Amino acid sequence: MTGSSFIYVTYIRSPQQKVWDALTQPEFQKLYWFGGHQESTWKKGAEWKMFMPQHGLTDSGEILESDPPNRVVIKWRNEFRPNLKEEGYARCVMELAQEADLTKLTITHTIDKENSQFIQAVSGGWPRILSSLKTYLETDSAHGDTRSAAEQTHK
Amino acid sequence: MSDFVYVTYIYTTPQKVWDAITKPEFARRYWVHYNVSDWKPGSRWEHQHGDDSGKVLIDGTVLESNPPRRLVMTWARPDKSQEPSRVTFDIADYAPGLICLTVTHDQLEADPAMAASVSGGWPKVLSNLKSMLETGKTENIWLTKGKEG
Repeated sequence: MTGSSFIYVTYIRSPQQKVWDALTQPEFQKLYWFGGHQESTWKKGAEWKMFMPQHGLTDSGEILESDPPNRVVIKWRNEFRPNLKEEGYARCVMELAQEADLTKLTITHTIDKENSQFIQAVSGGWPRILSSLKTYLETDSAHGDTRSAAEQTHK
Repeated sequence: MSDFVYVTYIYTTPQKVWDAITKPEFARRYWVHYNVSDWKPGSRWEHQHGDDSGKVLIDGTVLESNPPRRLVMTWARPDKSQEPSRVTFDIADYAPGLICLTVTHDQLEADPAMAASVSGGWPKVLSNLKSMLETGKTENIWLTKGKEG
């Protein structure tokens, strides 16, 4: 295989539709995604943009496939770190499946480049985002945001 | 590349994570099967079936033990039909009340079937561990799909 990839699976005690909504709706994203949010209609061919409070636009791309609430594929490029942007577009697949009381969420983030710095960067981010998402959905509290917890440490 | 690495952030203490890995009464709640050892370097450990039959599903040797921060052990098929692999648990403070648990399962090159099995199993086990420590709720994770532990 040429290229780089990151795969993460988490099981969340929450209905699949609620996990889908948390992944795609800005007001939910802000609670667990480092305070950032995304803008898109989540329809095939639609633009997709991610914004962070401290950076503005951080990532952009396009929805390549969309099958709510089961699967979405995003063409994804970093926009604010030159070394990541120059690696070009990555592909992020989010897959959801209900298994009894749990939703299985699989994130597969790949790029057609060996030893990708972009994939290295998202490999650090995804476990924090998805841990926060799981805490948020299972405890109904925004204290799941690992970024907030880290900021409190450094105050 | 067959190394498996899984990172999860849990609102709990390092000691509670350590106990959840090493004490049967906690492990059986989220892992179903549980680990038995005195957890001293060089000691044997066994992953025993949750039905209390004493059946050993996996065994090995404790390589490093630094409670509640780091545990390294070999991970072997009891029939020794394949070379053993290695599991490392690292438990780090991330923020007040929030820990970062990293599970690294490597040296799997000689046993692709085990690599496939544990890649599916660890996310179930570690998701259930996080749920138990944060909410007290767990699932029997081996009933839905798959049977490996």
